[in-house]
Amino acid sequence: MAQIAMAAGFILILVGFYGALTNRNILRMIVAFTVADTGVNIVMVAVGYMRGRTAPILDETVPVADALSRIIDPVPQALVLTAIVIGMGITALMLAFAYRFYEKKRTLDITKCTELKW
Amino acid sequence: MVSAIVIIAAALAAEFLLGLFSERWRVAAYAVTLFALGFMTFIAAEWVWAFAVYAAQPVEIFTAGVQPPFAINLRMGLPEAALTLLINLTGLFSALYLKRAFLEKGRAAMAVLLVFVMAQNGIVLTRDIFNLFVFFELSVIATGGLMLLSDDERAVAAGFKYLIVSQVISAFLLIGIIFSYHATGVLNIDLMRPDHFAALQAGSIAFFLMFIAVVAELKPFPANGWALDIYESAHPAFAGLFSAASAAATLYAVAKLLVIGGPSWLPIATGIGVVTFIAANLLALPQRNDRRLLGYSSIAQIGLILAVIGQRDILGDSYLFVAGGLLAAHAAAKAGLYWLSGLIASRDIAGWSALRGHPVLIFAFISFVALLTGLPPFPGFYAKWELAVALAGNGRYLLLAAILIGALIEAGYLFRWFGYTIKRDKPVEEISCYPLAVTAIVAALAAGWIFAYLWGDLSGHGNILHAVPLLFALSFLLLDWLPAWVKNTIAIVGMVGYFILNYADYDPLRLIFAVIILIGGPLILLASYDAHGRRVGFYPSAMLMYAGLTQLIGATDFFSFFVAWELLTVGSYLLILRGKHSEPHALSYIIFSLGGAFLILTGFAIASSVSPLPMSDALKALTGETAGWVFLLLAIGFMTKTAAIGLHIWLPGAHAEAETDVSPMVSGILLKAGLYGLMVLMLAMGKQSLYGIELTHAMLYIGALSALLGNLMAIFEEDAKRLLAYSSIGQMGYALFGLALMNHLGWVMAFMFVINHYIYKSMLFLSAGGVAKRTGTRLMYKMGGLITLMPLSFIAVLIGIIAVSGVPPLSGFGGRWIFYNAILSAEHRLPMVITFFSGPIAFLYLFRLIHTVFLGQLKDENRRIKEAPFWIILPQMLYVGLLMAFAIVPGLALRRVDAYLGQFFPEGGLNWEGITITSQFGYWSPVSIMIIVCVIFGSLFAWLLFINRRAQKVKQFNIVFAAERPYRPETTHFAWNFFAPYRKALGFLVQPFVTRFWDTVADILHTAGDLGRRLYTGNPQTYALHFLAFVVIVYLFWTGG
Amino acid sequence: MIRKFAAILLLAGIASIFMGLLFTYEPDAELNTTARYYAERTAADIGATNIVTAIVVTYRGLDTLGEVTVLFLTAAIVGLVLAHGRRRTSDKRRLAPVGELLATGSRFLAPLIILLGVYVFANGHLTPGGGFQGGAIIASGVLLILLADPCRCLSHRVIDTVESVSGLFYVGIAILGIVLAGGFLDSHLLPRGELGALFSAGAIPLIYALIGLKVGAEFSSILAHLSETEEL
Repeated sequence: MAQIAMAAGFILILVGFYGALTNRNILRMIVAFTVADTGVNIVMVAVGYMRGRTAPILDETVPVADALSRIIDPVPQALVLTAIVIGMGITALMLAFAYRFYEKKRTLDITKCTELKW
Repeated sequence: MVSAIVIIAAALAAEFLLGLFSERWRVAAYAVTLFALGFMTFIAAEWVWAFAVYAAQPVEIFTAGVQPPFAINLRMGLPEAALTLLINLTGLFSALYLKRAFLEKGRAAMAVLLVFVMAQNGIVLTRDIFNLFVFFELSVIATGGLMLLSDDERAVAAGFKYLIVSQVISAFLLIGIIFSYHATGVLNIDLMRPDHFAALQAGSIAFFLMFIAVVAELKPFPANGWALDIYESAHPAFAGLFSAASAAATLYAVAKLLVIGGPSWLPIATGIGVVTFIAANLLALPQRNDRRLLGYSSIAQIGLILAVIGQRDILGDSYLFVAGGLLAAHAAAKAGLYWLSGLIASRDIAGWSALRGHPVLIFAFISFVALLTGLPPFPGFYAKWELAVALAGNGRYLLLAAILIGALIEAGYLFRWFGYTIKRDKPVEEISCYPLAVTAIVAALAAGWIFAYLWGDLSGHGNILHAVPLLFALSFLLLDWLPAWVKNTIAIVGMVGYFILNYADYDPLRLIFAVIILIGGPLILLASYDAHGRRVGFYPSAMLMYAGLTQLIGATDFFSFFVAWELLTVGSYLLILRGKHSEPHALSYIIFSLGGAFLILTGFAIASSVSPLPMSDALKALTGETAGWVFLLLAIGFMTKTAAIGLHIWLPGAHAEAETDVSPMVSGILLKAGLYGLMVLMLAMGKQSLYGIELTHAMLYIGALSALLGNLMAIFEEDAKRLLAYSSIGQMGYALFGLALMNHLGWVMAFMFVINHYIYKSMLFLSAGGVAKRTGTRLMYKMGGLITLMPLSFIAVLIGIIAVSGVPPLSGFGGRWIFYNAILSAEHRLPMVITFFSGPIAFLYLFRLIHTVFLGQLKDENRRIKEAPFWIILPQMLYVGLLMAFAIVPGLALRRVDAYLGQFFPEGGLNWEGITITSQFGYWSPVSIMIIVCVIFGSLFAWLLFINRRAQKVKQFNIVFAAERPYRPETTHFAWNFFAPYRKALGFLVQPFVTRFWDTVADILHTAGDLGRRLYTGNPQTYALHFLAFVVIVYLFWTGG
Repeated sequence: MIRKFAAILLLAGIASIFMGLLFTYEPDAELNTTARYYAERTAADIGATNIVTAIVVTYRGLDTLGEVTVLFLTAAIVGLVLAHGRRRTSDKRRLAPVGELLATGSRFLAPLIILLGVYVFANGHLTPGGGFQGGAIIASGVLLILLADPCRCLSHRVIDTVESVSGLFYVGIAILGIVLAGGFLDSHLLPRGELGALFSAGAIPLIYALIGLKVGAEFSSILAHLSETEEL
């Protein structure tokens, strides 16, 4: 199960990268990056997954005493939360930059931003 | 003590506080920003103080009240304290610099800067791997935001490129982190251990991903196009901060990671670092945009430091000293240079000539260049030395060579830039002396010098800045507002005084050089009284050269010898650069000199790793092949300075284009440094051979060829000073030849040349300079008939050429006589024959100095010129006296040397009885020769006067011209292309093969750089692909090796 | 074409690296050291039933502080990037009026959405959810308002003040942790309370509330900036 999720995550990363590196349209690139980000997040969650266990929340079904044997690793979940927020921040920022870029160039073609080179 | 976490908390609190300010209260918001940065700096400084002065123990800072690995912890130790201080200080001064931009953009921009600085602090302090990721992301985003401060329209695109690439990087980092967590069960750096990773294949791949992602933030080649674009287009204040602070933080992160990864990752770090260092420097060569050039240089420096971190296995604890030294130098210099670039309107490196007329800024610029190139007394120098010794001691010669080649290329473009600044036409636009910016630059300058002092104190070799001669030279920086004649007097008194205080300590060999430097130097300085005004920059440079020379002959260990060598190189470079057209020549001088210095460094490093004894003992202690290699490296290094053939192309231009009183200094005195080095080397090591070739034998040929070709090239010269310069190549060839004979008389001859060459070359350069000053040209065919107008110069030249050509009665003859004796007792015939024939050739060019310049017809435009100025004539007349004295009683100087040489070459000494000198082949009585020659000359002269008593004087224009109009005026002059027939016969020998060879080398490097940099297409997708390629390549190397 | 080929080739290389991770991956049978500590001690030490929340807010609180700063930073930079393209009040866009349904619906729904957001962050230590989720929900309420009435100008002043004040309080609580409890961000400032109660788990609900407000304000600020940009 974890491996399937992980494989899916890796595939999403690769697909996202492929899209981001070959699409000339900036918006498509940004979307592709969010796909890759999702892939990363899936891989992270998959690493914490343990067969037959439940979410790390203590309630009636998971009493404190049983926590050790009943819950999955909570750390990757906490990390993913942080990673998602950071990814979202960067996406928002890229959108703003894309807007500014379009404003100046009237195009969203990424190959048009090569004044700086060599 | 304030907890280190307060640094982070203070930044956060300040940036949240900024949100409460209305956009109208920008000044208040700015004050809060500065206060926060000042407070952060204060905390860091307090910790540095605690660690440095009270030797406090590193402190762990736990968050959430829980022990790691269950909560995030930070650590404050000496490295962390130093780095955070560096980061916060740079941040503070950047904020000062950015005042205008901040007040324009508002509080959001200030908050972004605060976050950026905080993130760098966090990267340094944190011990948690995921926390590191968070701070990295903050740094990335803040970088993107700070790009908006730039006035450059393209900056937004550059920030966007960085965001794109960092998306890819952060994906790798996250995957690496999560799998590392899986492999080790912790996220804490100190609890992750190499064996955890090694146990699982997934573990080591996880580490690889983490490592490669963090290294990618160091802008490794080729995954660094985005960084160049950022450097080029960012606001200069931010570019300085980005280069100094984020590099410092990221390097520390890599160092932390490498502890987890274990020693097997060190070579990979070194490999990435050194490839980046060389590639970035190479690609920087064709660069004309100042900020992009600095970007390349930043990338290169960071690569170098990464390589040093990768050498932790052999450097041990001193890696902090070495890497720290390089980093401190890089940070101060890069921040300073970027901040300087903000004052200058033009983006072309030649536009920096706008700095001229601002001595403080020029001084800052050269200090920054010296910081980057690792020249003494700056920390990079200590680092370079330690690194070279460690690498050589562990047999990592290839790495050492790679680093030195990269460093040489870097020095090449940095000094080229400095040359442009000093020599290119000043643009119309003045620099904008924005006071806050200047404050920041001065702060960077001060930091550079403070670092220099600190590293000197920390090094085990003593502080360079404690040496009296150097301090004397540096004190002229403070005295530069005085008029030139006052400084000249101080200089003369200082040098002579130093000699009087110290002469008793020198052995005869050193005494000869000490006299030439410390008495001969002031003698030349007499001519400097001729200069008017303040002559800004002359005295610091000249005194730096003399300080280097003085320290050179006082040095007893490798380190101080090398320090002195570098000091005299820099000083003389600055001195030569002062000439009107000397920019390209000064550049080739410094490149050859530094190249030679690197060979010397390598030789010293190898020798001192074998035995750290005093220099001469350590050299003696070398055996076998090592000895041969050390000898070879050092000999080539020293021969670069004596301009042996093949390494000579820098000399003619450098000596000829220098100012009137500088030419004699660099020719008469500076060249001797190379000979001194060779003497020290050969006395200690004797004859050495490598692969069956006896190295001294090879040197014989080099000396002989230098003598022959130097003289040949001189005869075809039209320019009086260039002629003298080529002649120096020949003269140094003789001296080299004498030394390479490795017998008693050969060495006496070399000493004879040391003394003679100083006297007559100084004198002739002064005369030629004086004539050039009056006629306004150095081309001899534009002169003629000056004998009546400049009689004293004529006498000096006449005496000079008699001495040089080695005809009786002057001391040149003594040299010749010893030479004939020396070759009679030596066994190698061919080089001897070559050297023998170069004697008459010398006469061919020497007589032209008299014949073309002083005899013949006076040119119309020269009709009104006067004798050279008094202060230029005075030393010449003193030299005439000296030459006469030395001709009559050579024993005064040579006797003690002869006796001293007896220790090393017991056989074949000279016998000094009374006024006669006897060798095994004959005798030489200087006094009787003098008398005989004077009598012959006197009687012939009297006879000439007698028979010419009734000769009719013909006016100059009492001649008839044919009806011919020459299209180039010089073709009508009899002295133009005087030796055309010889050129037909021997011209093939003086074809500029060597020049062409070195030009080709330079061309190839430039072309390679120009082709290579096309990799950076400017397209962010390409940059991201570069990163992927980088990952794959390193992965292949890692799994393959 | 070359680019695509290079991308495929390089990604194939990356894929092989990933495969090395995937095929040697073995899920843990037992919780590792770190996770075990959290599973055993969270309830007793922190008093939160949602262990992830305890980790996010307390154990790895510094990350979360950084995370909040990321959003803050993003909001600030988006503001900077879009600053000069900002619509002047005078030349308001003329848009067709939104339908009655949308206007009323949004007016009805927005407060509910915001309330839900508050609920999510207030209960973050007990149930799945928390400050970020709650903040995002609040911002979606704001988005709804903006979508319903694109010409509406949100007050940046209010948003910024909420953001700053909650941020300052957050940092203040973190520093109080050093003074009053075991260290920076230690949540033992307030009593641990009864496991599972709303007011429990020390300062966690307070911090999560601040985060919720801050995140909501930051997202809203980004949205407001984006909505105010000039039509291109």
